Amino acid sequence: MEQSRGWKLRDVIMMAILGVVFAAVYLGVFYVGLAIQGALAPFGLANFSFETIYGVWFMAATIAAYILRKPGAALITELLAAAIELLMGNSGGVVVLLTGLIQGLGCELAFALFRYRRYDLLSMALSGMLGGLFIFCYELYYLQYYLLAPTVLLAQLAVRFVSAFVFAGLLSKLACDGLAKTGVLKSYAVGALQQADLLADED
Amino acid sequence: MRSIDPACKAVGLLLCTLLLCLRHSPALNLAVFALCAIGLLTARVPLRKLALSMLPILVAAVGTFFTGYYFAAGSGSVNAQTLNLLGSRVYNGLVLSSRVVAFAGLGFLLAYTTDKVRLVQSLQQHFRLPAVFCYGLLAAWGIFPNMAAEYRKARAAFAARGVRVSALSPALLRPLLVKTVRWSEALAVAMESKGFTAGRPRKPYRPLVLRPVDVLFPILSTAAMLAAVLLVPV
Repeated sequence: MEQSRGWKLRDVIMMAILGVVFAAVYLGVFYVGLAIQGALAPFGLANFSFETIYGVWFMAATIAAYILRKPGAALITELLAAAIELLMGNSGGVVVLLTGLIQGLGCELAFALFRYRRYDLLSMALSGMLGGLFIFCYELYYLQYYLLAPTVLLAQLAVRFVSAFVFAGLLSKLACDGLAKTGVLKSYAVGALQQADLLADED
Repeated sequence: MRSIDPACKAVGLLLCTLLLCLRHSPALNLAVFALCAIGLLTARVPLRKLALSMLPILVAAVGTFFTGYYFAAGSGSVNAQTLNLLGSRVYNGLVLSSRVVAFAGLGFLLAYTTDKVRLVQSLQQHFRLPAVFCYGLLAAWGIFPNMAAEYRKARAAFAARGVRVSALSPALLRPLLVKTVRWSEALAVAMESKGFTAGRPRKPYRPLVLRPVDVLFPILSTAAMLAAVLLVPV
């Protein structure tokens, strides 16, 4: 199917609103994460609290890529979601744009590895996991995680991968499939593909 | 602080943050936070707002301290033999936790002294952020206040059908995503009908003029941070 490669205002608004939705979702889980962090703090395991919900950060990117199916969708959505967080007054300040860029590059890489032909559980989960891995490498420097024991860092990364698989892969795929069934995506790439499949089945 | 061009301020604070990563100095981290706090207070940011914003940061800092204390690189568990490592463990925890506080100070300095819409406009006018992304971002930001109402509606719709969903149920995601798609289509049609499209040159409604102080802020703040990073003892 011929796809327009340029970014239309409709695509950009969709990606930015996805950023808004997941910023709201993030706010919802933030306080849960904070409570867990407080509980785990005396044991030195506070870092693990937000690792369990880290996958939420990549959901906007994988969902946008699934719906729009254009190269760059995951990267730009992560950047726009980071910009929305910046506008919300995130305590990270302008650094959130940098983290959005790094996470977005990781998320985008997964779809690029499949040459933008696979938008399924595997590519979406891999996208979240690579996003998590990329930002982890940055955090080694930015948060000076290299001062922590390697075993703890590996455990943190493992929890982050599971979270990315669950949120950015499994939950996002289920949400997208449910969304496609409602028919609201018929004017997007994923909806057009569904329509083509239906016509092929009828033939 | 409030009058500095938002994009210039953002660049200056970003460079300061990245430079600060180069040092393991709790004293420097806390000094940076103190300077940010002074900046925030002189910009008349309400103390109560700052105190409330600092609560989650302090929880994170305490958590990070214990992580750095218990799991310092190259150390095992604490016992009589490793007691002499306690000093370095405490230091390790302080480095990591003071970093959280310093970064929050720099973040709040931007967040609480900057007009968000002006920031996007400044990025477009001074840093060539493509117009289509500027429009999309501002349109989505305008929708943000509706999200809470939409979330409540989605929960009420489930309740009306006798389905109980928890506050963080994934089932709420689908109606919110449906709304996302509909909002984006309606907004795009409305904006395109007013000529907000990519590729059409438009003059800015509010042109932002760079003053010398705007250009000097990132240069001087970065130079000061670089000097501190190079000169402040560990």
